[in-house]
Amino acid sequence: MIPGAFLILVVPLAVAGIGYILGQWRRLTGLLATVTAFMMGLAIATLPLDRPVAFWGGREIAMGEAVDILGRELGFTPSARWSMAFIFFAAAGIFLVAWAVHAHSLLYSIGLGSLSLLCTALLIRPLIYAALLVEIVAILSVFALQKEGQSPSRGAIQFLTFSILALPGLLVTHWLLERYALTPNETSLLSAAAILLALSFALLLGILPFHTWVTGITRDSMPFSSTFVLTIGQSTVWFILFAFLETYPWLTTYLRHNPAVLTLGVTMSAVGGVLAAGQRRLGTLMGYAVLADTGCILVAFGIDASSSLSLMLLALLVRPIGLTLMAAGSAKLTDWGLNDSSDKLKGLGWKHPLSTGVYIVGGMSLAGMPITAGFVWRWALYRSVAVQNVGQAFLLLLSSCGVVAGLLRAATLLLDYSGKSDVPSATITFRVWEWSTTAIVVLATLGCIGVGLWPQRIAPLATQIAASFTLLVK
Amino acid sequence: MPTLADLLSRISFLSAMPAVVGILLTGIVLVVSREWHLDVLALILQYFCVVLLLSRLTQIEVAAVKGLIGWMICMVFYLTERRAGETEQDSMDKSIEPSAQSRRWMISARASFSLLASLMTTVVAYTAALRIPLPEVPDDISLACYLLAGLGLLMAGMSQSPIRIAMGLLTFLSGFDLFFVVLEPSLAVAGLLGVVSFLVALTASFLRATELDTPAVEAESI
Repeated sequence: MIPGAFLILVVPLAVAGIGYILGQWRRLTGLLATVTAFMMGLAIATLPLDRPVAFWGGREIAMGEAVDILGRELGFTPSARWSMAFIFFAAAGIFLVAWAVHAHSLLYSIGLGSLSLLCTALLIRPLIYAALLVEIVAILSVFALQKEGQSPSRGAIQFLTFSILALPGLLVTHWLLERYALTPNETSLLSAAAILLALSFALLLGILPFHTWVTGITRDSMPFSSTFVLTIGQSTVWFILFAFLETYPWLTTYLRHNPAVLTLGVTMSAVGGVLAAGQRRLGTLMGYAVLADTGCILVAFGIDASSSLSLMLLALLVRPIGLTLMAAGSAKLTDWGLNDSSDKLKGLGWKHPLSTGVYIVGGMSLAGMPITAGFVWRWALYRSVAVQNVGQAFLLLLSSCGVVAGLLRAATLLLDYSGKSDVPSATITFRVWEWSTTAIVVLATLGCIGVGLWPQRIAPLATQIAASFTLLVK
Repeated sequence: MPTLADLLSRISFLSAMPAVVGILLTGIVLVVSREWHLDVLALILQYFCVVLLLSRLTQIEVAAVKGLIGWMICMVFYLTERRAGETEQDSMDKSIEPSAQSRRWMISARASFSLLASLMTTVVAYTAALRIPLPEVPDDISLACYLLAGLGLLMAGMSQSPIRIAMGLLTFLSGFDLFFVVLEPSLAVAGLLGVVSFLVALTASFLRATELDTPAVEAESI
């Protein structure tokens, strides 16, 4: 009998190894990574946890069975199951679109290896190991973030630095909370743990003022790799924060529904929106849009509403859609324009309307505009915040408008008629989108709009996942 | 043949304040120097001092393994920088010779600033060790932890080269490791922290190699 946790750990790692060996065949590696991630997600989401299932060759898979690694138990919990299913499906989506637009092959091997480690982090207890595994994933991500044949990515170095700085806080928090459990009278331990935990997660999530790495990686790193970090990586960090709060419920009173967290979220969103409005580079705009979005997630974390957790999970579910589309558009446009400086991008939209359209739709989704996936949770968030404070809801709305203003500036630049003739035609005719690329990207765009038009398909899923965090949802 | 324990017992007189002073001096050298040979040597000595202090807090074998990981990291840095030096030597343009004089002056100003910053960090670390001593560790080790963390952060913050940033981060991690080994004596945690340190070194080495492969025009534009 094969324990499910063992499969989750080994299969992506093995395929990552094969993918690395087959590195020069990018298309094959990408396809392999996409299929593996999708199949793993499907297995986690559908196979029963309470009984083994007969599989190929008479072998049985017991998804719910725990496995011991280095004396630590990796056991399935309902919340870990849904979190893992989500990260595998999101990764499959990112790999598929990256495959369609010919992203570089290290993304697939590093991505699959990271998925294995991130799932282990979600399953393993005590959480001290989860923190170390997340750290290892952050360091490995630098290899995928680095652009081929370019100077070392400053964003990637900043990401590495901030991740390392977050480690001590996470590890010491664990020790402080264990001590607090033994001596509940020493409340100073609890407040110290809460401060350290908040600081560490702020560093890992790129929360103001530790946000420089977010815009750094979107500016000068591989677009799909930064999307992977900002969706899969960040979602896992949020899930681990939830696990901390479930394991040590005393922390909840300090961190959740806290007015300071709410204010920080609103400020972060407003800053992201304002700075996004002034951007003319595609990558930087993407970074500030993410900053504004993370601010909104923080607001959802801070509001005192029963739907708080569902809103956060809905935000994490829809973020990969918008960000992947932005990455696809940005990857293609910067590839054609050679880099994303404004003079190179001028007029490129006339030659490549699909890439431009995809980038704009993805950005609209990240800004939470109507008829896109991002609107599904933003509208619900604005309504929840408005009940408590209309001013804060208005600021959040303005931050969305800031991101849209940035997108309009980018669109104006890309569709600048005067720069149309500057585009080297030889480059364009050489690199046309293939039919498969067009089909996948158009489907992803339609999916983004479809989720925005029919939110009833995805919203119950977020509520269902939220229900699996039994202590937090109360 | 003397065992590891015998060897460490012979130099046990170094495992208190002399090791802390060693950490301070190597830390300052790392912050101030821009000569990679000196940096690697300082890092080797720093790991030696950390091992001496660790030997008071944990099993000698664990301390030795941590030291070995540190010295392997130094080896990675040495090989990377040596290779980089050879590559850069080949492509060095002799026409920049006249500006060497002004460059030397600039380095001197930078070194003075770095020295001042590292002295200020030392004062802050000393004050922190007096006012907020770390739990579960002796005072001198508390000071060593603060020094390593402070000087490591300073080095990472003041550098642009991937290798120097990694050296700063590893110094910071050494400081934390010295403290955390008392709080969590688990071998698995020690092993994973070693993996983290080694991966940081490999990543820095990878980025340095990328820097060498970058065409000069592109590197200047960025």
